[in-house]
Amino acid sequence: MKQYRMRPGRLIAKAILALAGFLAVFPLVWTALNALKNNVDIITRVPKVIFTPTLANISYILGRDSVLTGLYNSAVTCGAAVLIGIVLGLPAAYAVARYPNRFAGDIQFFVLSLRFLPPVAVAIPLMVIWLQVGLYDTLPALIVTYSLLTISVIMWLAIPAFQGVPKEIEEAAFVDGYGAYSVFWRIALPVAARSLIGAIAFSFVLVWNEFLIALMLSSSNAKTLPIVASELSQQGMNVPWGILNASVVLLSLPPLLFLGVLSGFLNSVFRQKKS
Amino acid sequence: MRRHSSLPVTFLVPTLAILLVLSMVPTLYAIVIALQNRELSAQGYSWVWFSNFADLFSDRRFLNAVWVSVKWEIVTVVATMVVAIGLGVLMFEVAGPRLRNFYCLLFIIPVLLPRVSAAFVWKFAYHPLYGIATYPYRLITGGLIFDPLSKPGTALFAVASVDVWQWGLFFAVIVLKLLETLPPQPIEAARLDHARRWQIHAYVTLPMLKAPLISLMFVKMIESLRSFDLIYVMTRGGPGVATETLDMYAFSQGFIESGKVSYASAMAVLMMIATVITFTMLWKRVQA
Repeated sequence: MKQYRMRPGRLIAKAILALAGFLAVFPLVWTALNALKNNVDIITRVPKVIFTPTLANISYILGRDSVLTGLYNSAVTCGAAVLIGIVLGLPAAYAVARYPNRFAGDIQFFVLSLRFLPPVAVAIPLMVIWLQVGLYDTLPALIVTYSLLTISVIMWLAIPAFQGVPKEIEEAAFVDGYGAYSVFWRIALPVAARSLIGAIAFSFVLVWNEFLIALMLSSSNAKTLPIVASELSQQGMNVPWGILNASVVLLSLPPLLFLGVLSGFLNSVFRQKKS
Repeated sequence: MRRHSSLPVTFLVPTLAILLVLSMVPTLYAIVIALQNRELSAQGYSWVWFSNFADLFSDRRFLNAVWVSVKWEIVTVVATMVVAIGLGVLMFEVAGPRLRNFYCLLFIIPVLLPRVSAAFVWKFAYHPLYGIATYPYRLITGGLIFDPLSKPGTALFAVASVDVWQWGLFFAVIVLKLLETLPPQPIEAARLDHARRWQIHAYVTLPMLKAPLISLMFVKMIESLRSFDLIYVMTRGGPGVATETLDMYAFSQGFIESGKVSYASAMAVLMMIATVITFTMLWKRVQA
């Protein structure tokens, strides 16, 4: 009796889930399809599913100097900022996780509170400062600005990762005569590596996706890919839909490459909580 | 051994010093600029102290932006939590382990997208003539035009839907993982008492998850402050000023319309003070 009454409910629930799954990816799939269409096939009142694909949009995008410069700028700023984040963030996180002191709570709150700062409030003064030192619209200015983001995010996520390393392993290493630094290098880093890679990937995605600060701190030379992509839509009345779609696809690919790493990271975070 | 090491000092001090410099210099400088009358076009400037702040409170567009920002926070945070809890519970109830993994992977995709990408994807989708999201409406009504992004009444919700598409689905994954960490005994006990499925969640599991769910909401409140990318790409604050949030207005005052950097900075400083105070208080309460 009960089982019988449950059934339509379960069916509806499954249908809702399937719909949500569809909604999660379909807009993106549709954008990818549009990137392969000629403009005539995009500007139709009834969406076209069957069309003759073209690579014109993609080759146009990859042939534009502005796009290539944007790609280069994005790669360099993200790479450098993430590297700085790793070098400065990981050791600091380890120190907070393993050498608790009176200020540990305050330090963690300070690092988190950097995320409260409205990006405009950081970007406006930085623009004035970089203009005055003559570094406005250069990659070093962007890298330094983004380092604030990468260091704090990596530190925030790496603290629990280091806390998850079993203390006994580290104690055993101390007994074996390892010094504090080599315990960090040879024990803590490799053991926590999986979670740490997740944290690093997360900081990369954040910086790659960043828009407002890049928009305010660049005018021509240092434009990152999101800025270049957003400007493609402002070319006159004839919106080049196919090209725009292609640029959206290009911009979205790098973060999606980390899908596997980040979902693994999520799983490991919650496995820790459970145990 | 551990106690006498120099490691905490060498590992912490440089990083914290750099973080302090990188965060305090712009913050303090924002306040300095806000007390002057700098403009992008002019070289000179003088100190005007609090007149920028005084002007703000008689600026109706600023007051509108405050209201739009508050609406944005409420709409996106509430909708995200509702979607997340709803889908999280549904996955927990009807999906097997394999299906769960599959949905989790799908639901993480939108949040990984750059917000600029997400904004463009939905800007096309909401196009009144050619959009895929407005197509069902055209089909049902026989070609009537529905343009959610250019109506003052719907624009904010249309942009907010993109934010919820990104964060609501992602948080559904987290809610599911949280449900999976719960011990099974209370749920079994409730089931033996003939509680309905929804009752189990409303009275047993969700109350057990109160603390992490509140933290999740806290995270979303912080992330919702970053609405600029979506709004800049999708509506530019329009139609009129219907979707002009504080960061959008500060940006257009400082850069697009008049180059009044000091005025924009005064706005940013007010935002900063409001968010830091609010979130510090909330954080202390969450921790307590």
